[in-house]
Amino acid sequence: KIKKILMVILVVFLPLTIVKAGNTKSSMEISQQQKKQISGLIRDVNNEPIIGANIIEKNVPGNGTVTDVDGRFTLSIEENATILVSYIGYLPQEISVAGKTYFEVILQEDTKTLDEVVVVGYGTQSRETITTSISKLDNKVLENIPFTNAANALKGTIPGMRVQTVSGQPGSSPRIIIRGGSSIKSPDSATPLYVIDGVTRYNMNDINQSDIESIQVLKDAASTAIYGALGSNGVVIIQTKSGRSGKIQVNYKYDLTLSEASRRYDLLSAKDFVYFSRLGLYNTGQINSALLAQLDGSTYAGGAGNGLSKDYYSSLMYLTPENQHKLNEGWQSIPDPLNPSKTLIFEDNDYQSILFRSGISHNHSFAVTGGSDKATFHLGIGYSDNEGIAITTDYKRFTLNFSGDIQVTKNTSAFARVMYSNRSDRQVHTNDIFKSGLLMPPTNRLYYEDGTLASGRNFGFANPLYSLSVYKPRNLANDLTLIVGGQVNIIPGLVFKPQFSWNQITSYNRNFRTAFWNGFASYDTSRNANASFSQNFSPQFNAVLDYAKSIKDHDINLMAGLSYFGRNNDSFNAAGNGAATDLIPTLNASAVPTSVSGSESHHVLLGYFSRATYSYKQKYLVNASLRYDGASNLGENNKWGIFPGISLGWHVDKENFWNALPKDLIKLKLRGSYGVTGNISGLGWYQAQGEYNSSNKYNGNSAIQISVLPNQGLKWEQSKTLDFGVDMGLFNRRIDVILDYYRRVNDNLLTTLDMPPSTGFSSIITNYGSLENKGYEFGLNARIMPYSSDFQWNLSFNVAKVNTKILHLPPNGIENNRVGGEYIWDDKLGDYAWKGGLQEGGKIGELFGYKQVSIFATDEEAAAGPTDTLIPRTDKTKHGGDVNWLDSDKNGIIDSRDKVYMGNQYPDLTGGFSTFLEYKNLSLSVRMDYTLGGTLYYETGARIEGNFSGANALSKKILRSWQKQGDITDIPKYYWADQNANWNVWNNRGSSRYYQKTDFLSLREITLSYSLPSNYLQKMKLSGLRLHLTGSNLHYFTNFEGLNPEQSSSDTAYPVPREFIFGLSINF
Amino acid sequence: SFWKTEDDAKGAIYGMYARFRNVTNSNLFLWGEARSQNLKQSVGNDFSNMRIFQNTLDAVDAGPSWSTLYQVVNDANLILKYVPEISFLDGNNKNQILAEAYSMRAFCYFVMARTWGGVIIFTEPTEGYIPEKMYKERSSIEDCFKLIKDDIDKAISLYPDNNFITGRNRWSKPATNALKGDVYLWTGKVMNGGNSDFSTALNALTEIESSDVMLLSEFNRVFDYDNKGNKEILFASRFQLYESSNTGYYRMYIDQLPPNPAPEASEVIGVPRDGNYWTLSDESLAMFSNEDQRKDGTFYELYSFDAATGLYSKFYGCIQMKFNGVVDAGSRYFLDDVIIYRYADVLLMKAEAENALGKDPSTSINKIRQRAYGENYSKHVFVNGSKAQNDMEILNERLLELFYEGKRWWDLIRFDKVFELVPYFKENPQDKYKLLWPIGLNILSMEPNISQNPGYQER
Repeated sequence: KIKKILMVILVVFLPLTIVKAGNTKSSMEISQQQKKQISGLIRDVNNEPIIGANIIEKNVPGNGTVTDVDGRFTLSIEENATILVSYIGYLPQEISVAGKTYFEVILQEDTKTLDEVVVVGYGTQSRETITTSISKLDNKVLENIPFTNAANALKGTIPGMRVQTVSGQPGSSPRIIIRGGSSIKSPDSATPLYVIDGVTRYNMNDINQSDIESIQVLKDAASTAIYGALGSNGVVIIQTKSGRSGKIQVNYKYDLTLSEASRRYDLLSAKDFVYFSRLGLYNTGQINSALLAQLDGSTYAGGAGNGLSKDYYSSLMYLTPENQHKLNEGWQSIPDPLNPSKTLIFEDNDYQSILFRSGISHNHSFAVTGGSDKATFHLGIGYSDNEGIAITTDYKRFTLNFSGDIQVTKNTSAFARVMYSNRSDRQVHTNDIFKSGLLMPPTNRLYYEDGTLASGRNFGFANPLYSLSVYKPRNLANDLTLIVGGQVNIIPGLVFKPQFSWNQITSYNRNFRTAFWNGFASYDTSRNANASFSQNFSPQFNAVLDYAKSIKDHDINLMAGLSYFGRNNDSFNAAGNGAATDLIPTLNASAVPTSVSGSESHHVLLGYFSRATYSYKQKYLVNASLRYDGASNLGENNKWGIFPGISLGWHVDKENFWNALPKDLIKLKLRGSYGVTGNISGLGWYQAQGEYNSSNKYNGNSAIQISVLPNQGLKWEQSKTLDFGVDMGLFNRRIDVILDYYRRVNDNLLTTLDMPPSTGFSSIITNYGSLENKGYEFGLNARIMPYSSDFQWNLSFNVAKVNTKILHLPPNGIENNRVGGEYIWDDKLGDYAWKGGLQEGGKIGELFGYKQVSIFATDEEAAAGPTDTLIPRTDKTKHGGDVNWLDSDKNGIIDSRDKVYMGNQYPDLTGGFSTFLEYKNLSLSVRMDYTLGGTLYYETGARIEGNFSGANALSKKILRSWQKQGDITDIPKYYWADQNANWNVWNNRGSSRYYQKTDFLSLREITLSYSLPSNYLQKMKLSGLRLHLTGSNLHYFTNFEGLNPEQSSSDTAYPVPREFIFGLSINF
Repeated sequence: SFWKTEDDAKGAIYGMYARFRNVTNSNLFLWGEARSQNLKQSVGNDFSNMRIFQNTLDAVDAGPSWSTLYQVVNDANLILKYVPEISFLDGNNKNQILAEAYSMRAFCYFVMARTWGGVIIFTEPTEGYIPEKMYKERSSIEDCFKLIKDDIDKAISLYPDNNFITGRNRWSKPATNALKGDVYLWTGKVMNGGNSDFSTALNALTEIESSDVMLLSEFNRVFDYDNKGNKEILFASRFQLYESSNTGYYRMYIDQLPPNPAPEASEVIGVPRDGNYWTLSDESLAMFSNEDQRKDGTFYELYSFDAATGLYSKFYGCIQMKFNGVVDAGSRYFLDDVIIYRYADVLLMKAEAENALGKDPSTSINKIRQRAYGENYSKHVFVNGSKAQNDMEILNERLLELFYEGKRWWDLIRFDKVFELVPYFKENPQDKYKLLWPIGLNILSMEPNISQNPGYQER
């Protein structure tokens, strides 16, 4: 069976030799009489004709032809022969011609990684000869989900790349961290570099995914060293589509997306809320009698002082003849648990369903491509209109992408590209709306009796419908990139490739707050308006001289080039107060200018680079590169840096001894690389020289304050990476495996270092210490069914693990040169020790908190427990229902030294699975991804058990809280505003119950798609039609209780939506 | 680059004062008054400062750290390093700026020395990352006071005249003399400086009287937003609309009308804002007489309807009226200046110095009482008594006059009355170590060469 497959593969290479294969002529002549004429059409899965595909008669390599510009062919062939259809990059097919003369063939793309052409820095290379660690995105991922930010497609698809959706606001960019990031203080901010069509950028926002041809990720230093100063955190290279010669092809795609909140907080109903609130307020009142007054108040969970007028934000009140009609209007009632002779009435509002909605989004994209052999073009136009799952939020984007290539002379070609996007969005004025707004008590009034929106307790705790109605935001951005370039073949093998580009991003943001009720007694008419305008202009130039030469078995490629990267940011913003009307949201209506500011900053990065690759018989591969970079923002004497990279590869399978194995059973390439890259992403443009800030005022005078300490010694942050890799293909590459192990050491980290507060500074930016990231990446791709099968089933899996360790810190006279940390009991030592913070040999992001051992079942049990010194008040008595904290040093006292390790903030294991099934025109794909190892303090979870604001909704867990002597449970007795009570859940405690693992497995995508068969298409005069149904972000398998397990810093953010998508793609 | 011109120096001095607002907006009150327990918890809660108000501070919750103070010290140090090199058109302007920087540095160290004892002394600005210069040990309390007194002397010698040349929201010779009086009273009493310190204090305080200062006849006008920089003020930290954030006095107002409030209460409250966290203790409340205009000028008692009596008789707590800010476009902003020294304070310090020296303090005290009681003054005339009686009267007078102004805790230490008057210390007379504040774990962790104050948990 293997042999059969081998044959098919061999055939791929045969057409290349057709022209030379003259010796078969005689056999053709002999069989002349039995021949018949066949014809046909060869297309790809998108029903686009394939031009230049090879059709040859099996076992008669001399008899063949290629398809024309329409993908058509004719061939005369023996009656019962078999033809082989092949094209580079596609899987070959074998077809018997018996009894048929017309053939329509759809070629499947060959996705095997070993054969890819890979874009490397300033050039391309075959995957065969790659010696560094480069991953390419499987483009299937881009087909089905209209990502408002295409970076989301990278989730779980590239080993070693952590992609987290930190905000579900449509259009917002995910957090992308490659191989753990190279930052000692905030590994979450070590974002990679983006190179889009050769243009360096800092994100890939506002790009239409339909315009994307390929996305690749350069991970090791040898591959990114060519980007020198910018390469430390990895490089994402994106190529957009360009024209193809041949018949003009037109494609239209449409997606309809329905999105909804995928997770919600589990909260008490109004009845339970009122019951427990009254008891909780009473409980806290027993500790702090001043608070008992609240029980009669209009604030919090008070019941007596309320009425139906606009003077009360809560609906909770005692039943009276004046208000009993509300019971007929849906209000509810219960006896007051503190005085059952009275009845409390209230309404029940579900603020989660008020803030969230089903968002509907439309995504259109239209592409035309075509050209002659002299000139080609591609035009892509996209329009995307998205509603967020939170009311009032949206995102709209128009994109245009045009490219044209022209052969000017025989040796000269030129190209130009225009990429443009226009984006506007509305966002919530603060992410706190997803905490305070979602956590409104259900008894809060939504509307007053007269139908107007209720304003809430005060604006910070306003009904979300009201607070969103008060803000009038408008955000716009234009992003324009112009690229021109060319290619001159000077002499055979020597090519000169210059490229100029200009990127300009302008953005305008305005917000206006209408007059509003801050609570019921304060009508704020300040009508704050603010607006900002910013322009980022980045001219870039790079030029490459490339020389390739093959002498016998030696292949040599030399490249040298230079790169200029300028960045200019000019911005201003202003704010004003006192407009006379809510109708004019712009600054011109403001009576009082309250602040103005502006800034202009400039930065230049200049680099010279070169690369040499050499291979012997395609068996031994060597690749070396060198870059010399200068940056304007570094210290006086350290502006320039040298970044070398070297890598080696060995095709073991091409050695003679490998022939002992069956041919193509195992393909094996070993790789090794070492490189040095730089990083200055953590450095502001003027930080080295120090900064004085003049944004403050004193008594109307401009106040100048030193804000950044100068440090002229600032130099390049350096990453040195050693990478070993194995590329393996098994069973004629039915299974592909890529494995990488790396160790990266980041020295001279540009870090904001905590200063001793007595210096008058909280921090300074400096080259500080070194950090090691060590890890492995494993990717597997399996084609379960034979290449020839109608039924195809692919499975892929990847996993990556990174370990981060602090190697060195500057000496400061303390053990391990520690900075910060916690002084806690160490059971192993039997003594106290400093843990966490930054210390040599330690990890970044360690979290410490107090471990909840149990809930005291009775007062007696509580009295026997340790003394809790965390409670601020003098009386520290505990009762049944309070938490029994771990006294780790067993000294009978709970204090800060009893904290224990709670986990690490940063996930360290990421990966994904995907499977793809296809039978004829029907396909099903499923993608999942996972992230493990992170821990997050789930603040909201504590909040809805401890009611810290005094007026938020409560968790359903309260139902099983401790309520009477002897209760055994893990949920403490409910105290209103626990910070005033026993700190059972209060944040300053940091209870182990809320340090939750964010480990998750996400069912990211399920897509069912169907391509119409060609016989139907012909009737409809179409060349292709594909329909698909997709579910995206369908489910998180996780124990994390918050809304978004992808978070790794704060649990308050715009939640990630679940989406259902219907899509359609038509080719004309 | 910076530090080249006269305007740079002016910008920097404003920068120093703007930074000083981080010290004055609430920390100064917490350090200087909250621990005296003249306030108790009201219907709201301020758990974050509870340990301060209840004297249960420890290393974990140690109250505000010294970082805001050292930022101001660093600003002063920058000015003192660079401004002498800058040429000014009028040398007096340069001297004024240097005098202000010295005064500011002295004041900051004075706050720190009273709060934590001996602290790290930085007299040079921090200008880079130099570990061996940054991780310092604490200096002795004596060295701190030596620095404070030296700085005051330098400042006083540099001021061009005894006026408020640059306004009452900046340091001036009279204001620095008030500081000098304050410092020498402290060292005279707390550090056994004795009569020579009291004389120095008295001389400095007396010199103030020849400057342009007076007691305003209406007590409440001293603090009003629209009467900033009035003639009773020697030095106040300036807060104003569109320029600064609220002062910490929002914690002593009210965020809602009380349930069924007395009609006039709603009127007095006007626009509510923020929290009702701390209210007058019963003892403090009892000390204010209805004949004293300082009562209405300091706070307002809220009553709500009591169904049992049918009257607005249910006491709901007090809101502070001294620093109730300004209402602009329907919102209240707590932007009254935070007063560092005013003439009434000076008069009472003067009385304190006179009494310490065995002189009759009546004149000084009676100026205060005359203003406070107005037509009822005759019932409240101060008559010279024994030294101890006079001290008690002066201390009480300071409570009535300077309530909410961040002075009481330090007054109690200076008069050595903490263990007689503060409830916590009455109950825990052994806790003498608590007169100094603990040093927080955050500081100990970032400043490894710092030792904890005795009595508190070491790490």
